[in-house]
Amino acid sequence: MKNRMRVLRAEKDWTQAQLASVTGVSRQAIVAIENGKYEPALPLAFKIARAFEKNVEEVFIWENHAEKEAT
Amino acid sequence: MKYFNDRIACSGVNPGTAKVLLVTLLSSVVIDVGAIWALHHFELGSAARIAVALSPVPGKIAVIALILRAIRQLDEFQKRVHFEAVTVAFLSTGVAVFVYGYLQKAQAVGPLDLGRVWTFMLLFYAIGVFIAKKHYR
Repeated sequence: MKNRMRVLRAEKDWTQAQLASVTGVSRQAIVAIENGKYEPALPLAFKIARAFEKNVEEVFIWENHAEKEAT
Repeated sequence: MKYFNDRIACSGVNPGTAKVLLVTLLSSVVIDVGAIWALHHFELGSAARIAVALSPVPGKIAVIALILRAIRQLDEFQKRVHFEAVTVAFLSTGVAVFVYGYLQKAQAVGPLDLGRVWTFMLLFYAIGVFIAKKHYR
């Protein structure tokens, strides 16, 4: 699963620590999710999306879906 | 003190829970030392010796309950890291005990001191946390 967190965070001019604070998780969690090393459960995915004022699908992109969009 | 406050803040555990856990842990160690000291220095009857030997148990139960509370306060990512660390610690300690048992049968080592098992578990847990954090970085 890919995500657009880095771009959206840059748009908001937020640091990883700030996003962590807004979503109520550790900075390590944000780093792992942003780097695609860890896939969040639905509640956290929704929290992150809401923090960016986006829908979940606008932040997280399922791999197969991403491949279809690319072709 | 600032270092510890920062570490607690980063851990995701409520500072109140962390402080209560720390105080309970220290109290538990003091009771441990006191019980061992009493067993060595006093001529106690059988029932009294058993009572003193079991005196650290309530403190240990309190520590377990507080650690569980602290774990429940972690975010899902930290829970994953600690779950993997516990898995590493549990399995590695099991393997280490088996290996020690084989070495004991080969008369290469002496009897196993149970206190060492706990030390190995802590060591493997720390290694597990390091591996999991490195994996998800």
